[in-house]
Amino acid sequence: METLWLALLTVLVMGYFALAGFDYGTGLLLPFVRRAEAMRRMTPFFLGNEVWLVASVGVLFAAFPRLEGELLSGAHQVFTLVLGGLVLFMASVQLRLWHGLVFAGALMVSCGWGLFVAHLSGTPWFIWVVVMPMLFALHGWAFQTRRRPAFLLTALACALPVPIAFSSHSVAGLMAHPDTLAMLSWVAIPILPLVVILQWSIVAISSR
Amino acid sequence: MDTLDLARLQFAVTTSFHFLFVLLTLGLVTLIVVMQTRFTLTRAPVHERMTKFWGRIYVINYALGIVTGVVMEFQFGLNWSGLASYAGDVFGAPLALETLVAFFLESTFLGLWIFGWGRLNRWVHLALIWLTALTAYASAFWIMAANGFLQHPVGYEERDGVLRLVDFGALLTNPTFGTALTHVVFAALTTGGVFVTGVSAYHFIKCTGEVEFFRRSLRLGVVVTAVATPFLIGAGFGQFPIIGTYQPHKEDAAPWLGVPLGFMILIGMSLLLASWAAVPLLFRDWVIRMRFPLYLMVIGIPLPFCAAIFGWLFREIGRQPWLVYGLLRTEDAVSHVSAASMTTSLVVFSSMFLLLAVTDWALIARAVRSGPETTPRPIAPLVVSL
Repeated sequence: METLWLALLTVLVMGYFALAGFDYGTGLLLPFVRRAEAMRRMTPFFLGNEVWLVASVGVLFAAFPRLEGELLSGAHQVFTLVLGGLVLFMASVQLRLWHGLVFAGALMVSCGWGLFVAHLSGTPWFIWVVVMPMLFALHGWAFQTRRRPAFLLTALACALPVPIAFSSHSVAGLMAHPDTLAMLSWVAIPILPLVVILQWSIVAISSR
Repeated sequence: MDTLDLARLQFAVTTSFHFLFVLLTLGLVTLIVVMQTRFTLTRAPVHERMTKFWGRIYVINYALGIVTGVVMEFQFGLNWSGLASYAGDVFGAPLALETLVAFFLESTFLGLWIFGWGRLNRWVHLALIWLTALTAYASAFWIMAANGFLQHPVGYEERDGVLRLVDFGALLTNPTFGTALTHVVFAALTTGGVFVTGVSAYHFIKCTGEVEFFRRSLRLGVVVTAVATPFLIGAGFGQFPIIGTYQPHKEDAAPWLGVPLGFMILIGMSLLLASWAAVPLLFRDWVIRMRFPLYLMVIGIPLPFCAAIFGWLFREIGRQPWLVYGLLRTEDAVSHVSAASMTTSLVVFSSMFLLLAVTDWALIARAVRSGPETTPRPIAPLVVSL
């Protein structure tokens, strides 16, 4: 049961970075590409991508209650940056505000996640605040130019840092009781494939 | 102010702003369900235009509201880590169900509805708005179940210093849950009704010419308000015996706590009286021809929002000094974070939320002023853009 929830959390977190990664990448590339076209390509994916984060944090709270508080409050300022960036990025993308705001939001979010990787892994922060935005930008480029094989590689590159940095932490004793997990898994397990199918159909419909 | 005060202030500010978006989302989606169902059944163009116009306002509000929701969700872990570690096994369950079953699905159905406009079979498209509405209500259901637990903890067992969930059903039969949920749902319906009424009245005041369109909208808004307010007030007063049993000292939590409660009741009663007075005046459109009620309808738009914030202040401040009533004190649940960090996040989130609310208001006002579309647009009509 515990392995299952760890797997579910990993899938959601990787899904978030692989999907939202190209949103942030698109944001980072905006000053250098044709903006209207880049934004138009991203639009059908945008909302669907960001909700993976919400689902990840929901699972983190319910299944790993004693980890969630430690993890988040231990990096309070980093998350202030990530969330501030998210608010700016999401609002400015959805309202088609000035592209500088979209860029700033994407930069804040990607640097924030870089700092979080550094915080988790104990590696120097100045490496990650450069590496993370570069990974996202590369992923955004692969998405925008529709290079399928490259896209899969960059997706993986964006998805891996946080789970790998996290894997050195032990979750023993931090998880919710097996009974709670068992009850929740009846709900959580069917939802994930359903959401994937529905999100896929949004993309399929909007490209028709 | 110390970390605790700052964290409490941050929660109060962000939750209040978040709830303004929630109220309008829940209220409007219900009215849009009615409009689109009528359109699908009758194929009358006026219902289609109504669905589009009000749907557009709904989508603007949802798109910005979702941003406040993301911050809300993180906030429990960021500022109240003691709540997760002590009561997370119980409190986390309804919260996770909300994110997975309700929110994750709701936003996906809504996405399909937005991008499926004109591209999907009309019955499938109708089913999508129904599903969006149902999952939105499911959100309210699980959040209120979680909040009900904080007001009166049930279904748990304390072992090794942490709570364990032993009876999930008890969370759903919790006396502080059902009546409060009913109250919130009818508050949202009232907000939707008052909003649609007020906006329609604005167009009659400005004589914009869309008579048939806004006549139907206004009637729908008035009827929804008139139907919702008795239940709203009933479920409101229905909570006093429950509070008397489980939180007898609620009003002692702060000396001024009766003030917001009083204002909320006053607003609720006024809306009940006004909507019931307006129903007979719908006959032969007297309410529109008399004109002065139209001004009252516009002035009334902010009232349900104010009342809802007052209501939450009473419910949440009245629970103090407890976070989980009788089990966990608020001061013991706050994260070990420096006051400086807490101040930074308070300033960042409060200013951004204020900006979001102002933007939401400005965009909605703009959509309202430009009125319903006269020529269909080439792209999906509901994608939010300036």
